[in-house]
Amino acid sequence: MNLFKRTILASVLALPFMAQAAMADGLISIIVNDPSNPYWLAEGNVAKATAEKLGYSANVGAHKGDTNTESNLVDTAITNQAKAIILDPANADGSIGAVKKAVDAGIPVFIINAEINQTGLAKAQLVSNNAQGAALGAMAWVDAMGDKGSYVELFGAPSDNNAQTRSNGFETVLSQYPGLEKKAQEVANWDRTQGYNKMQSMLQANPDINGVISGNDEMALGAIAALKEAGKLDGKVIGGFDGSPDAVAAVKAGELTYTVLQPVAIFAKDAVQQADYFINTGKLKVTEEKQLFDCILIDSSILDVYSFVGPFQLDR
Amino acid sequence: MADITTSKPATGDMNLNIGKILLEGRAFFALVVIIVVFSFLSPVYFSANNFLIMSSHVAIFGLLAIGMLLVILNGGIDLSVGSTLGLSGVVAGFLMQGIELPSAGVILYPPVWAVVVLTVLLGAFVGAVNGVLIAFFRVPAFVATLGMLYVARGVALLMTNGLTYNNLGGAEALGNTGFDWLGFNRIAGVPIGVIILALVALAIGLVLIRTAFGRWLYASGGNERAAELSGVPTRGVKISVYVLSGVCAAIAGLVLSSQLTSAGPTAGTTYELTAIAAVVIGGAALTGGRGNVRGTMLGAFVIGFLSDGLVIIGVSAYWQTVFTGAVIVLAVLLNSLQYGRAGR
Repeated sequence: MNLFKRTILASVLALPFMAQAAMADGLISIIVNDPSNPYWLAEGNVAKATAEKLGYSANVGAHKGDTNTESNLVDTAITNQAKAIILDPANADGSIGAVKKAVDAGIPVFIINAEINQTGLAKAQLVSNNAQGAALGAMAWVDAMGDKGSYVELFGAPSDNNAQTRSNGFETVLSQYPGLEKKAQEVANWDRTQGYNKMQSMLQANPDINGVISGNDEMALGAIAALKEAGKLDGKVIGGFDGSPDAVAAVKAGELTYTVLQPVAIFAKDAVQQADYFINTGKLKVTEEKQLFDCILIDSSILDVYSFVGPFQLDR
Repeated sequence: MADITTSKPATGDMNLNIGKILLEGRAFFALVVIIVVFSFLSPVYFSANNFLIMSSHVAIFGLLAIGMLLVILNGGIDLSVGSTLGLSGVVAGFLMQGIELPSAGVILYPPVWAVVVLTVLLGAFVGAVNGVLIAFFRVPAFVATLGMLYVARGVALLMTNGLTYNNLGGAEALGNTGFDWLGFNRIAGVPIGVIILALVALAIGLVLIRTAFGRWLYASGGNERAAELSGVPTRGVKISVYVLSGVCAAIAGLVLSSQLTSAGPTAGTTYELTAIAAVVIGGAALTGGRGNVRGTMLGAFVIGFLSDGLVIIGVSAYWQTVFTGAVIVLAVLLNSLQYGRAGR
């Protein structure tokens, strides 16, 4: 018994040293958008866990869409002598300066989730394949709806390229079915409250629609709330996008028909692994700078087979 | 009443009460504590280069805070500085891209000095609108500047369609290079942004202590009616402080867009709150008439060095928000202790 206790004590005491040893490989600075959103929280957490598993220490910073904060965080990473920066850029144009600064300081930058409008600066840009995801979602939507019916579309923030990409993807698929009629389209800026309000207004004008297709989960959940309140949720086909925990719960509850999971956990992990490869060998693991990651359809049949181990992390 | 408040800025007297020294110099001690603690926690924090980088981060908030201090000394508040900063950056970016004159069929590329002057004038104009609304039309400062917060942000978004002006470097052939000088270059190793902050702080500090305008400002902030009756041009003072605040915001906008070499319409969102926090930590009273530039500068450095330090040691973003909030509340708590003791 005494021996047992001692072993435990010894291993507990050794823990900090092991942690110290783990820190020896240097720091990877991870900069995400806003961790008050579970999507970016998952992105930061997965990247951090991957970095720590590979033997680095990791910092997660948040710029909340502000290019000045982002630039400050990059300065801090330079001060901290980070071995690499994993960055979810605040702005496709406005983040170029910050990336340049890091590159000038000799720190490799790996961009995730959103692109910057200049190639040749970052070592890699890993993003979701929004066009593929939108087509995947639209096909699932048609499967559930059949080839006849009327619907409305909720559109994300127009300043974000993804809003247009997704809407185009929906359009490409749905326009092939002449029996499907789009009654209205409203901008709801990715926001649940706005999705709710816009859905209520659209219901006034079009009380008989059969379905809703939405650019993201938040707006879709707002629409569900509006339909519920109007007593019209039954039998509606509603499609989301992102694969947020709330949306997955709504799919389980049978309210949301499907959502499209963005592979944020996959590319966040991959980016850190590519950074690790570059730090160790000085070579790129993947030579193409822009790398697209395919989205995954989440509907009730998928959830019967697979389960989520954490927000946005499907266990396959 | 006017007596008490006007004598305040001269407070540098021989009171050797230790508690009082700690209380009066709290922003300074807080800054020392922050530097010592983070130097222990991180090996890279305590270096000249890091201090300079952190100071250039402070410069943006510091410039806003100096303008905000003037307004708060006057008993007002300026919620529009963050939006004015964003608008100034966008206008500077717009001017750098060249102004197309369809009637003449030419594109004008103003030189950088003209861009700077025009942008500062824009800041002054925004401030003047605030000042006139408040001084002549008796719109409460909170409401007038809140309105301006939305208007300036909306105009910035309109001008850019929500996009960002990139490439503010200019071109040799057009004779408008040098915009990035403001944010990137250093004189004797010190970033230009920090030098600009120091110059503005020095100028405003001297104005407050040495000029009639400074005394008018403290007097009208302490008791506007009494000041007016003693012959202080209170309306003129009021408009001037908002103009100066707008100018400070415009300078901050220029430095920021130069540092980032890009100008986005959402730059500076919620920075007005950070500026107010810096002024309050620096010991100014929101009711007006009390505070000085030295304290405000210390307040800005406390916020900047704290937030950068938390990032350097890798504290989670949630805790950073909690810490910043706690520091602000603590500062206000000490304010009410100090002024409660002094007795109004």
